[in-house]
Amino acid sequence: MELLHSGLLQRALLELVILGAACGALGVWLLHLRHAYAAESLAHAMLPGLVLASLAGAPLLLGAGGGVIAAAALIALAARDTRVGSEVAVGVTVTTAFGLGAVLALAPDVPARLGELLFGDLLGASTQDLVAAGVLAALVAGALALGHRSLCAAVFDPAAAPSLGVRPQRVELALLALLAVATVAAVQGLGNLLVFALLVAPAAAAMRLGHSVRSQLVLAAALGAGAGVLGLAVSAEVDIAAGASVALAAVTLYALAALARPAASPRAAGRRRSPVEALGTPR
Amino acid sequence: MQRAVVAILLLAVAAGLLGAWIVLRRLAFFAHAVGTATFPGLVVAGPWGLTPPLAALGAGLGFAALLARLTRRGATSSDAATGLLLTGALALGAVLASDVYRSGAGVDRLLFGTLLGLGDGDLWLAGAVALAAVAATAALARTWLATGFDPAGAPALGIHAQRGDWLLLALLAATVVAVLPAVGALLVSTLLVVPAATARLVTGSLGALLPTAVALAAAEGFAGLLLAYHLDLPPGPAIAIVGGAGFALAALASAPRQRRAAGVAA
Amino acid sequence: MTGGPPALQVNGLSASYGPGRPALRGVTFSAAAGQAVAVLGPNGGGKTTLFRALLGELPVAGSVRYGGAPAYVPQTERSRLDFPVSALDVALMGAYARTPWYRRIAASDRALARRALLRVGLGERAAERFGALSGGQRQRVLVARALVQDARLLLLDEPFAGVDRASEDAIMGILDELRAEGRVLLIATHDIEQARDWDRVLCLRGEQIAYGPPAPTLTTEVLEATYGDEIVVLGDGERAVAVQHHAH
Repeated sequence: MELLHSGLLQRALLELVILGAACGALGVWLLHLRHAYAAESLAHAMLPGLVLASLAGAPLLLGAGGGVIAAAALIALAARDTRVGSEVAVGVTVTTAFGLGAVLALAPDVPARLGELLFGDLLGASTQDLVAAGVLAALVAGALALGHRSLCAAVFDPAAAPSLGVRPQRVELALLALLAVATVAAVQGLGNLLVFALLVAPAAAAMRLGHSVRSQLVLAAALGAGAGVLGLAVSAEVDIAAGASVALAAVTLYALAALARPAASPRAAGRRRSPVEALGTPR
Repeated sequence: MQRAVVAILLLAVAAGLLGAWIVLRRLAFFAHAVGTATFPGLVVAGPWGLTPPLAALGAGLGFAALLARLTRRGATSSDAATGLLLTGALALGAVLASDVYRSGAGVDRLLFGTLLGLGDGDLWLAGAVALAAVAATAALARTWLATGFDPAGAPALGIHAQRGDWLLLALLAATVVAVLPAVGALLVSTLLVVPAATARLVTGSLGALLPTAVALAAAEGFAGLLLAYHLDLPPGPAIAIVGGAGFALAALASAPRQRRAAGVAA
Repeated sequence: MTGGPPALQVNGLSASYGPGRPALRGVTFSAAAGQAVAVLGPNGGGKTTLFRALLGELPVAGSVRYGGAPAYVPQTERSRLDFPVSALDVALMGAYARTPWYRRIAASDRALARRALLRVGLGERAAERFGALSGGQRQRVLVARALVQDARLLLLDEPFAGVDRASEDAIMGILDELRAEGRVLLIATHDIEQARDWDRVLCLRGEQIAYGPPAPTLTTEVLEATYGDEIVVLGDGERAVAVQHHAH
């Protein structure tokens, strides 16, 4: 298979495996803490950073880092709004930031390669970029492994956590920082619009299939890495964009899991919810 | 350009009115997701010989149906499922556009809107949706208000919550499809969420919120169009930054009021 | 207030949230006009289920007879406090059922809503935003909304929970007035002592444990059967209190 012969593809494959595993595991914690919206918002709102780096000819990772920090600060500010609610305030912030990124990209005489920033450019990445992303992803995975017990305490028993020397708020903040790092690592290959797939799809699938945190983490890491391999293989065989291919592979794995386990345990049903309640953002 | 102005003013009616309900009923993420999910539909419309609004509507409704299925009984949380489906739709659209149908530069227009490429059909659709929005609001404002205020208690008031909500969602989908040509699939929020959110910051009653949302959508849309024209940009991003500035101003202006209100309600 | 058919008649009522998951079984009782029935029981014991069944929101077996749609006074914590509605707007919602969608709310209903707010002691606060009111004031507005509905049967879900003294007195006064007007009140409550002042008590725990006037019905045995180990029997063995949970 061509996949194993090309040096570039080999490196990309390695990076995706590490990235997929790290994002998969991270995603499990994000879902348990209900931060999917934050992950999506952060990825979209970082666009201006990417564009500025591209226009200035600076390394993309630098722009990604700056963009993520700015986006995180703005989103944190917006999330505290009490007048229109955090969902709406964050949505406005993300729309504006994303729009700003697009303006910066499309206005100049030599436009930035917006398509690649949005959808990724895995195979156009230099070896340095791939190595850097791989290192960041490995850092994320390492941090999750080291902090495993603190995470468990903070997420599943926040009331008792302080007595165990764990401060839930700090842990949550650290997790969001890891989200930022993982986003930066993944954005080169997947683009800022598709990063979310690798962060959440393997984890969402794992949560349907596994019932203990440990099993979910392992499953999510495996599925994430698997999505990376599968996506890259399909991309090489059928000649489609690599980032989109990986994203589609991840979402497909989730869809399969959803079909296989369409919620075995009925929750306490209660009344019939109106469709807007079901489809809108919960309280 | 003239056509774009007319389109924006017509779209502002529906977008402003719907936007008010989107903000009140917490449908901002959903509305953005529906808009984004139309992208693959728009990509295949040309090659498959479908009219774009229909293809977009089909994709949007498909998205909503899948979302409803996936979030049944809380199997996956709604924000995770919404994000996953919209990302999947984007990936699908990207593959179709770049590798299957080779849409090339046309993709920018689908994602960010067009200033000069609006047709008569787009104007007719905008007008029709505006009428539908006004009629529906007049008939259903009470229902939507009571359902949003206390969903569990609404039926006891004689409110047909389910029916009213289905109509709201249908109108939301139609409005999303109508604004797509002007602002693009990635930025429907610029008309459907941002102006209404800004209006919400500066008004205190529903009766004031609705017309203010429409007025802001029109003003911001128009200003965005001018900006787009002068900077040679697609309208979507231009309206986005105008809208963002408007929201930021309103947020700063209403900050003292917010602090006072927080003190009273404590 | 005696004589004539009962204003509310419930026979063998069972309700469930889905096939094979009954939430409430075998409820049979009747209430005469002007009577207040305290509905007692632990959380999840069926109080809310009974209300939903009476409101027609759940499929039921058995029969229910009452005159006209009931009015429902939920706990105020469930409503959206950030909605742009005034106290008057909320009270006016009581008139929605009788206003077809193509009509504006009648001026007479507006006047009715203002009078209802006056009755609950919030006449001057009609224009204030609902969310800016205190918990007790909000609960009173919800009672005013039920007044506007003008129903013969009112279902109140823990109307005194977490409510300040002034609001509690105001609500109590209204409830007495409503009884004098011949309406039937069903009041879900955790306050067993308060329940002794009403006309009847209905004890539920997935099924009907007991029904009748408070004094003979609220024996220690009945209370233990109703609340299980959530009951604390006080020193003299005659009185008991239920441990309150705030599981909203």
